[in-house]
Amino acid sequence: MYLPDFEYYAPDSIAEACQLLSQFGAKAKVLAGGTDMVVKMKNELLAPEVVVSVKNLEQLKKIEYVAGKGVCVGALCTHNDLVKSDVLKERYPSVANAARQMANNQVRNRGTVGGNISNAVPSADLPPIFIALNATAKLVGTKGERTVAMEDLFTGPGKTVMAQDELIAEVFIPDQKMTGSNYIKFGLRKSGALAVVGVAVAVQVENGVIKDARVALGAVAATPVRAKKTEEFLKGKNATDDVLAEAGVIASGECKPISDIRASAEYRTDLVRIFTKRALRKAVDEGHV
Amino acid sequence: MSSFVVDKDGIKRYAVTVNVNGSDYTKVIKANTLLVNLLRDDLDLTGTKRGCELGDCGCCTVMLDGNPVNACLVLAIDCDGREITTIEGIQDGEDLDIVQEKFIEHAGFQCGFCTPGMIVSSRALLNENPSPTEYEVREAIAGNLCRCTGYVNIVAAVLDAAENL
Amino acid sequence: MKQDYSYVGKSVDRNDSYGKTTGHAQYTADLKFPGMLYGKLIRSTIAHGRIKSIDTSEAEKLNGVKAIITAKDVPSMKWGLSPARFDENIFCIDKVRYHGDKIGAVCAVDEETVYKALKLIKVEYEELPAVFTWQDAAKEGAPQIFEEYPGNLNTEIHHHFGDVDAALKDAYYVRTDKFQGQRTYHAFIENHASAAYWDGDRAFLYSSCQSVHYVQYHLCRVLGMKMGNLTVRQTNVGAGFGGKLDPTGLDFAAVILSKITGQPVKMWYDHAETFLNGRGRHPMTMELTTGVDKNGKILAHKFDCVLEGGAYTGLGIASSYYAGSLLGVLYLIDNYKFDCRRYVTNLPPCGAQRGHGQPQPRFAFEHHIDLVGEAIGVDPIDMRLINARKGNSITTAGYEVKSYNLVGANKMARDASGWTEKRGKMGVGRGIGVGNGGFVTGAGFCQYRTDYPHSVGMVKIFDDGTRAYVYSNAVDIGQGSDTVLMQMAAEAMGYPYERCQMVTGDTDLSTLDFGAYASRQTLMAGWAVKRAGAEVKKKVLAKACEMLKASGRIKEGFGYLDGPLTPEDLDCVEGIVFVKQEPAVKLTFEEVARKYFVDHGVLLGRGWYHPGKLGGNHKGAAVGTSPAYSSATQVAEVQVDMETGQIECVDTWDVHDSGTIINPKLFHGQVHGAFYMGVGETIWEEVKFDKKTGKLLNGNFAEYRLPTALDMPPVESLTLDDSYEPNGPYGLKEVGEGATTPTMGAVANAIYDAMGVSMTELPITYEKVWRALRDKKASGK
Ligand SMILES: Cc1cc2nc3c(=O)[nH]c(=O)nc-3n(C[C@H](O)[C@H](O)[C@H](O)COP(=O)(O)OP(=O)(O)OC[C@H]3O[C@@H](n4cnc5c(N)ncnc54)[C@H](O)[C@@H]3O)c2cc1C
Ligand code: FES
Ligand code: FES
Repeated sequence: MYLPDFEYYAPDSIAEACQLLSQFGAKAKVLAGGTDMVVKMKNELLAPEVVVSVKNLEQLKKIEYVAGKGVCVGALCTHNDLVKSDVLKERYPSVANAARQMANNQVRNRGTVGGNISNAVPSADLPPIFIALNATAKLVGTKGERTVAMEDLFTGPGKTVMAQDELIAEVFIPDQKMTGSNYIKFGLRKSGALAVVGVAVAVQVENGVIKDARVALGAVAATPVRAKKTEEFLKGKNATDDVLAEAGVIASGECKPISDIRASAEYRTDLVRIFTKRALRKAVDEGHV
Repeated sequence: MSSFVVDKDGIKRYAVTVNVNGSDYTKVIKANTLLVNLLRDDLDLTGTKRGCELGDCGCCTVMLDGNPVNACLVLAIDCDGREITTIEGIQDGEDLDIVQEKFIEHAGFQCGFCTPGMIVSSRALLNENPSPTEYEVREAIAGNLCRCTGYVNIVAAVLDAAENL
Repeated sequence: MKQDYSYVGKSVDRNDSYGKTTGHAQYTADLKFPGMLYGKLIRSTIAHGRIKSIDTSEAEKLNGVKAIITAKDVPSMKWGLSPARFDENIFCIDKVRYHGDKIGAVCAVDEETVYKALKLIKVEYEELPAVFTWQDAAKEGAPQIFEEYPGNLNTEIHHHFGDVDAALKDAYYVRTDKFQGQRTYHAFIENHASAAYWDGDRAFLYSSCQSVHYVQYHLCRVLGMKMGNLTVRQTNVGAGFGGKLDPTGLDFAAVILSKITGQPVKMWYDHAETFLNGRGRHPMTMELTTGVDKNGKILAHKFDCVLEGGAYTGLGIASSYYAGSLLGVLYLIDNYKFDCRRYVTNLPPCGAQRGHGQPQPRFAFEHHIDLVGEAIGVDPIDMRLINARKGNSITTAGYEVKSYNLVGANKMARDASGWTEKRGKMGVGRGIGVGNGGFVTGAGFCQYRTDYPHSVGMVKIFDDGTRAYVYSNAVDIGQGSDTVLMQMAAEAMGYPYERCQMVTGDTDLSTLDFGAYASRQTLMAGWAVKRAGAEVKKKVLAKACEMLKASGRIKEGFGYLDGPLTPEDLDCVEGIVFVKQEPAVKLTFEEVARKYFVDHGVLLGRGWYHPGKLGGNHKGAAVGTSPAYSSATQVAEVQVDMETGQIECVDTWDVHDSGTIINPKLFHGQVHGAFYMGVGETIWEEVKFDKKTGKLLNGNFAEYRLPTALDMPPVESLTLDDSYEPNGPYGLKEVGEGATTPTMGAVANAIYDAMGVSMTELPITYEKVWRALRDKKASGK
């Protein structure tokens, strides 16, 4: 296999990167870890004339806690950066755990948070847990920066609200009232399998009562989706097995999966039911986000 | 940014310097050159294999600044100024690394095609985690497919190597 | 019968240890020759059609392109691995028969130029309707893929031993079940590659293949070359499992392109092309009927099998015969009927994959017999014990079976796995299952017609005696044949194994062997090198006798000797020649060998092996004959998620009746790998094609899912101490393929035990399990 020729740039600043993206327009593509893009280029699904490598943007490689606000995850953090981050282990083990279930070790050492999100594949593993935790993305372009809620970022398979000259700079996970969160990925083998279904949940439980809940589903619609009816149903209920099971049934009614080479729509729908129930149970029981 | 010359077809060729197994090499390459091809074709380090070429099999695994990555998915030019360890850099002179010794002792390979990647992944694991559990060993090599061994002797070899670091 | 050996039975390290663990071991794709060009095949982009035109003009203009060849540039003689069905051309002449079929080849100065050239080649087709299932291929009026196979029927087998219908009438219980297998493929990690160059009228080809001899034979036949003019060589081979037995388009094209260009040419497949090259497992549609008495003894068995063969025959005829021919080796079945058809379709050709033709029928039978046992209340292992063949017997089809301890294997597996405490007792979702299998240890016949010995070996001792070169073109595709052949040669010579070196992978320099298939090499090449070693030893002892006498160290009539010292009074072990009765009187092998060299020139030993005429007289009896048969029992324990259908194989046991184990470490490795392939095929693996276009859908390791290290269970590999095969050198028989044959049945039976629904279609995916459980719930059972 081989890659077609392209012009290569490796800017030293975000501003310069945005400038290049704006200058070359649709001909240009950002290259982060390359674990999506190189595969697509080899499979002849993509042939950018200009590649803007963001490898030098060191400032986007940090995971930090901003006191009283939340955790800031640089877009160039690799999946293994998330897995190994002490900040995440302490505050959001569910995010580290979601990252650990991705791809395989080699890909986790290259693939980045920004790439996983920008790619906008319905089966991507990070968006659901970010949505469940009410995270936002900071986008930077030639005209300045803006913040978009993760759940509003995706508009279709491979499509986002990002403009051609915009980069994802960071993901911000705000401090939570939620008491538990969890992401379950179901793939067709234990490693190196894309999600057939991914379910992320975050719950706020007090004295056994669910005060608030967020449920986000991956791989079962054109974009990662929130299961809002399920969330509404859960609010104010006791976190009993029956309630969580019923939440699963509701969630399975909220997804619109397709059938593909990996699984039928029918199967995916039922998996949403099963894993919503299981993810909620875990989030409730573990009692930490 | 690395310096370049433009060839007669208008394609830029860049002077890229990588440190491979402890030595610096400067090579003139096109931007679309993959790390795996730089190693195999330009540096004659053919221990790094080409298999699936899509990040699924791991036979091209090398360490990039200490972390195992698939050389088939990395642009060589993105490695400018960085350190790479290939299977050829695992042994210390004539002494084999403990991981290599244990692969031999346990017959952790058959056809040997996955083995360079397998050993690089295993060594990288032990560098970071000298006493892994069996699960951690399996997790670390889950991106290295081996059709011959069923991983049984490989897992045994890595655990034994950890005990004898 | 068992003796103390120096090397046989020892887990010596593999001879390729250093190279393979340091990255220095070379594979074909690693080769580089001065002035080397790079080449790839041009492939069809439709499934079935006539080639109207091929326009290579744009590609030829591309800077760096050196040659482009198509059918018009190469000989048109047909070839194939089954002599009965030569139906493949180097490049398609009139028609393409599958999406990915070979149309031609390109070579250029570098890889990138080759890819660019391929894009510029335009092929125009007159598209023909295509068929992708045997059911469609068999329909009235279906498109004809080959003129020579009317109705697309490629072969038909009808075997009938005894009287099945009469026996079924008398049976206490009769049951029929249907099963469906899937198309899988070998999934070695090294893609095929070839490299060739010429020197005058001599061609040299490196090929990542399983038989240098067959590659040499078929290429010479088609290219009209004398075999002495084509040398086929090998570096290391990154496994084969049957997929590197047929010569590939790369082999032909590399030789032809390097001749045309006058430069070395290296050709390679991308990973997806290894799927297109095909030759993997046939999907089989199977119907089994068995009649038993009330103890479970099989009275009659009827097996109906249809194979979807893909576009060419390859080894497909043998696959068809193997589907039915070995059942009667495992179990005592007096009345047996086997009906089989193989159809060609517009997909990549199917062929031999580890266990050749047998694993799916084994899956079907092993599950079917559990269902039979269940209906009459007999435990699965008891079912097998009642029907298992015993050694020193002759099968209904006339095959002679010497050592055979399937009974012992079942009992040992039962005890090791805790079967009795577990079966049916582990609650919903957890299950344990058993499966039996086994294989031939080499086929009784060459794949083409010849009176050649099947294997020829030689040992040459270096001038001063400090190294022994062991010659054999047996192919080490990873199974470790080089190591075990040297162990046997060293044993036979009484020479240190550590000082042996293999001379192999070269049709000029080394000696004939048919190659790595049918689990044949350890026995056949083993005999050849053992005999060669024995001849060396004979010469060494004779020379040593002469030396000892001349030295004056031995006086006739001295104590322990009655008459003059003879070679029979001497032995040689681990490089020391000594008087048996007085071991202190000794010489080193080295000094004796050196003296031999001084007096006579090269010290050589030669050996060869031919299995002779083996049993069975019916049509097709050739497939299934063998000097020795292995048997094996596997037990698998699984956990099934009763909601999602996810299956986890948690523990497994294998007992292989393999005769003497030459190298335990390598032996167990074969079992592990065989189980790995079997469990992969049971749960995960399937090659998929677009139903409308026949285009490959999952030609990669992301969607063709091999189990990862996290999916693979531990395997406890056990052996039977008293297993000894009189027809094998040192009492050995096979392990490589036989250990794949019980797996699917064992795992499927465990799944059945766990979930209580019979899964009859491979692979048993999570979704199929989920569906079956849902249907069961809906039906209220
Ligand atoms: C073997 C294998 C297994 C995989 N398994 C999984 C899995 O289990 N789960 C999963 O979710 N994914 C998986 N992936 C996909 C991929 O690894 C991830 O999506 C990864 O996060 C992509 O990140 P990257 O940095 O490599 O992206 P790249 O390939 O560099 O880029 C991907 C896309 O994002 C754009 N982009 C990258 N960074 C930015 C940025 N900061 N701002 C704007 N645009 C940007 C690029 O232009 C490109 O379009 C797998 C891939 C492989 C090869
Ligand atoms: S060749 Fe790189 S992962 Fe397979
Ligand atoms: S040893 Fe052959 S693929 Fe691992």
